[in-house]
Amino acid sequence: MMFFTKLIKNFGKINSIVLFICIILLLLEFVGHRHGEFEIENFLFFPALFGYISCIVIFKVGVALRSIFMRDEDYYD
Amino acid sequence: MINSLPPGFIMFIGAFLIPFLPKLGRQVYMIFLVILSAFSLFNGFGTHLIINVLDYDFIINHSDNLSLPFAIVFHIAAFITIIYGSHKDDWKENLAVISYAGAAIAALHAGDLFTLFFWWEATAFTSVFLILGGNTSRAYRAAFRYIVIQVGSGMFLLAGAVLFLHSNGNALLGQMSIDDTSGLLIFLAFGIKAAFPFLNGWLQDTYPEASEVGTVALSSFTTKLAIYALARSFAGTDILIYIGALMTFFPIFFAVIENDLRRVLAYSLNNQLGFMVVAVGIGTELAINGAVAHAFAHIIYKGLLFMSMGAVLYRVGTCKASELGGLFKYMPITAVCSIIGAISISAFPLFSGFVAKSLIMSSLGYEGLSFIYFMLLFASAGVLHHSGIKIPFFAFFAHESGHKPKEAPLNMIVAMAIGSALCILIGVFPSIFYQILPYSVDYQPYDFSHVLSQLQLLTFAAFAFICLWHFKIYPPELNSTVLNSDWFYRRMFPAVISNLVNGLKILNEKFSLNCFKSFNSIKNFFHDIMFENKVIDREAGFDTQIVLQIFGIIVFILIFLHIS
Repeated sequence: MMFFTKLIKNFGKINSIVLFICIILLLLEFVGHRHGEFEIENFLFFPALFGYISCIVIFKVGVALRSIFMRDEDYYD
Repeated sequence: MINSLPPGFIMFIGAFLIPFLPKLGRQVYMIFLVILSAFSLFNGFGTHLIINVLDYDFIINHSDNLSLPFAIVFHIAAFITIIYGSHKDDWKENLAVISYAGAAIAALHAGDLFTLFFWWEATAFTSVFLILGGNTSRAYRAAFRYIVIQVGSGMFLLAGAVLFLHSNGNALLGQMSIDDTSGLLIFLAFGIKAAFPFLNGWLQDTYPEASEVGTVALSSFTTKLAIYALARSFAGTDILIYIGALMTFFPIFFAVIENDLRRVLAYSLNNQLGFMVVAVGIGTELAINGAVAHAFAHIIYKGLLFMSMGAVLYRVGTCKASELGGLFKYMPITAVCSIIGAISISAFPLFSGFVAKSLIMSSLGYEGLSFIYFMLLFASAGVLHHSGIKIPFFAFFAHESGHKPKEAPLNMIVAMAIGSALCILIGVFPSIFYQILPYSVDYQPYDFSHVLSQLQLLTFAAFAFICLWHFKIYPPELNSTVLNSDWFYRRMFPAVISNLVNGLKILNEKFSLNCFKSFNSIKNFFHDIMFENKVIDREAGFDTQIVLQIFGIIVFILIFLHIS
């Protein structure tokens, strides 16, 4: 109980709820059979890993692109 | 005769009465026009009207299983847009909305390339007034660029149609190939409106400059008309798979760094079009169903997202993420509608995006296109990032912006509520939705495996965003301009042409100077030998010089003739 109170306090209520949903979704892998369109998707927790890593990659690339494509607001004016 | 007119025609023609009606009467009249037009959809499939002019058959009204779902959703979009904009007393915008929607619907029923060309251009000329409705100097300049590009697309279509007619003896709108010039030109015309990579700049450049109502209308028709045209004429064209994959891929990075939330949605629109283009490229029955289903669902949820951002713009006066935040307290209904749109576009189960996108992903699986499949899966995580989270989060949550606006006007709320309800209904009852698709569907999107995979993908992508935000890794949004492919014609081409002109000017000046110098030295030489060195021992005046010059010219001509 202490752990949950501490988690909610430090990580925020909504964030903690999302974290719990994530854990439940991982556990559901062991309840039923999950399969994908391609063989590699059958790897344990593949969609979860793919989603998490994709989001980080998009963020990292997006931040890197700032220096190349970002200009002043009145660039075209 | 009236029954044979294409759906949308009555909206296009009827729009010209709008300036003469009072505000309330105008709104009722517009809805009446949409309903009247929708009745024509019950005429059934087939060719209903052909007009022969100069021995050419213009197929004005042709309806089939591909045009019907697009026509249905275009009517729904027109209806929602009218309700959404009914708080404004602006007959010009009303006229533009209804005539634009009418032209787009009529274009769906064109059976030949020249009829399509007419409506293609009509959508361009009617929709440009929606951008002008933005009423800023930026909007005026954007509208000019928009019309040039849209008319340019029409010119490609016309050129392609003429060549097609010349080589085939008819200009029927049917399956075409990009292997011949006419097909390639028509493909390019459709590609401009479908915002293919490097042809997409106009979309992000112009849509966010329109008024809050204008952007909602714009997001519904032009690009989806192009998707319809591609599905009609280039289904199964392999290159579309790769073009579409690029379209899903690149805009997500630009959407992440863009600050203007309506522009983020414009990038997101581009990304969603990519899914449809991939499906058209695959070309199987399942894939075409996927493209149509995705276009249908997309028009509603993208319209919903644009409506929610339009409501924010209307109340707060800006759509920049850096200047927004904390609006949930003041605009809760708008926020909830925005979240429903965000969940739908992210393709969470029980929402419209899921049942539409699943068809496309499954068709990729059936065709064994693994690389494209994972690109689109990656793009799905991107959609969640920029449309699913960024839009509602930065507008309604994030930090306190200090704005304390009123909730959106009632008509806007009603329009958003209709959009939200449709997103949920389509997601919850996919079997009803699938019935209007071009081909009969035996597809079940809701199985344990599929739902769990999608939920894991999206929830973990959301969790990644939460981690980035919570640990303050996510950088703040900045007021900025993000360079896009419109940079080529807004900066690069003008700069290249300006430098080229300047270079030629300098070259011309140097050349003239050198010529003058050479001519002077020749003149001085003759002057010296004739007068200073007294070679000609008699007075020689100006007439002598003329005679010598004529002699020189004759010699020159003779030499030239001899050589040639």
